Amino acid sequence: MTDYVEYINSRIRTRMSSAERLIAYGQNIAAGSHLSGLTRGLAGGRGSSIINTPNIENALAGIGFGVMLRGMSAIFFCKQQDFLLLGMDHIVNTYNAIRHRGGLGSFTIVAIVVDSGFEGPQSGLHNLSDICSIAQVPGYLVAGRYDADIIIDRHLVSPGFRLIGVSQRLFRTPVIDLQGMPSSNVEGDIFQYYDGGDATVVAFGLALPQAIAITRGFDAAHRTAALFSVNNVWMPDWTAILSSLARTGRLVVVDDGKSANRQSDRFLKDALLHCRPKAVVDVGRRFSIDWARPNADRLEVDVPAVLNELGLPSTQSA
Amino acid sequence: MQHTAIALDHVREDLSPAASVMRIRLAQLLVNESLRKKEFRVPVHLALGHEAIAASVSAVMGEKDWLCLTHRNAHYNIARATSLKAELAELRLTPEGVAGGWLGSMNMANPARGIIYSSSILGNNLSVAAGVALAESVAATGGVVFATTGDGAMEEGSLYESLEFMKSARLANVVLIENNGWSMFTRISERRCVIRTDSLADAFGIPYERLTGNDPWRYIAALSRLRNIAIEQRSPVIVEIEVSTLGDVTLPAEGRHINYHHGVAPVTFSDWPLIKQDPSDPVHVLMERLGEPTAREIAGRIHASLLDEINS
Repeated sequence: MTDYVEYINSRIRTRMSSAERLIAYGQNIAAGSHLSGLTRGLAGGRGSSIINTPNIENALAGIGFGVMLRGMSAIFFCKQQDFLLLGMDHIVNTYNAIRHRGGLGSFTIVAIVVDSGFEGPQSGLHNLSDICSIAQVPGYLVAGRYDADIIIDRHLVSPGFRLIGVSQRLFRTPVIDLQGMPSSNVEGDIFQYYDGGDATVVAFGLALPQAIAITRGFDAAHRTAALFSVNNVWMPDWTAILSSLARTGRLVVVDDGKSANRQSDRFLKDALLHCRPKAVVDVGRRFSIDWARPNADRLEVDVPAVLNELGLPSTQSA
Repeated sequence: MQHTAIALDHVREDLSPAASVMRIRLAQLLVNESLRKKEFRVPVHLALGHEAIAASVSAVMGEKDWLCLTHRNAHYNIARATSLKAELAELRLTPEGVAGGWLGSMNMANPARGIIYSSSILGNNLSVAAGVALAESVAATGGVVFATTGDGAMEEGSLYESLEFMKSARLANVVLIENNGWSMFTRISERRCVIRTDSLADAFGIPYERLTGNDPWRYIAALSRLRNIAIEQRSPVIVEIEVSTLGDVTLPAEGRHINYHHGVAPVTFSDWPLIKQDPSDPVHVLMERLGEPTAREIAGRIHASLLDEINS
């Protein structure tokens, strides 16, 4: 079975190999563990360059925009998403000063979301949605095989600027490869993995594994649930999810992000306004001082409790 | 450029640098008049007194070179512009502006004339300049990327990171530190320790030169040489330029002298734009070098051409 990080690495290598005039850079991306395998074996097409850089995150963010201004393509591989805080001036201000221009190249920041736990109080930033919100740019979180295919192929090298987040927690786990007929829009904003009539389950952030666990609970209870994942953390069109909810009437939102400004809350507002579901379960986190010390950093889900809250006890039909 | 070509029968010297300095001065004074009339909603940071370095950088830039500027960019934008009218239109945020009214003053850029980026955030443009130079390096165009900063902006960590990358990646950048001794309303001595820029450059192994005196002919020679060093050594160079930002005032209530920062400067537009009778004013330097009658003749011609240009 292919690991998540091996699979993403292979998709990145494939996409980069067909891109010309591409500059990929970051700290230790072509040395040592190659960011735990994420950047192993990178090579661009004609006129490309791979650069191990100094530890200068602010400059590295600005450099990508400089490359982009010249109509070329840049990828900044960032070892930890929280390091991007040092480059926020560029991510917000520099892009705002150039985003209206024609002829811009591509700039993508691929950041590792350190959600694996026990890294300490300073390394657990999950909030790609917050970064994208203040910068007003798209951001895509990659959770599995199907979304990796579409997001990396569509966005890794493409005119404009965006961020792509990958999960360190999933690095050494088998890549999620759900059977069936997954679908998404062209941009890879929202993915649907299953259809079902008893509930609509929606994963935000990197909560696809937890959302899958919930749908398995439905299976065990001889129920069916539609399963969606919202991968674009900035302003996706979730009409398809609302259509599903209008049919099922029951909603489960699973968000493993740590923001107090959750995209899932915006979705919940729309869902309540437009669909008036008969049951809603919101599985997420609320700030705790425990976040500020080494911890497992994993959103736990009590699947039977979720089904009970929906009025679909798991023991009823099992 | 056509608008700086000027010849006087009685002068043998190349007058292009003088014409460029005079044009930048007079154009800024025209902008100042518009500021006085409150014609712009955007804040404008004039650079009166900075004309010699802007004229010289513009003169040495090659076709594939780029400029990355700060919020105080009026002198470079005017030096590179083919139309003052389009500059004024940009300050009015109209579609006829050099950036179609998208950028206004502090971010004014003009890629068609080599100004690829301007930033209102201190230190921000330096790493963008490194990125532009990286693209030029990978594409092997031979272009040099100039980036301006000041004695205030160089206090930001961005300078350190950007120099480190420029040197590590062997990029042809020319970093221009316009040192006017002030950051808004505080002098260097009021806000920080002394930073020896020459020692900082030495620590990175980066060639360094200090320019003083506002003589554009001397500046052009020095910048041409430094630009060649950047290309031949595949290294950034640092140029520290001593400037005085003219238009300073004394606060009546406090009796305290403060430097000009932005907005209307207490000077008026005329066909003889001398502001100070000393070498801190580049127009004074032209007068000393060419003689006052010649300097006045150049000023008069450019004054008339600028009025024609904006009224056409």
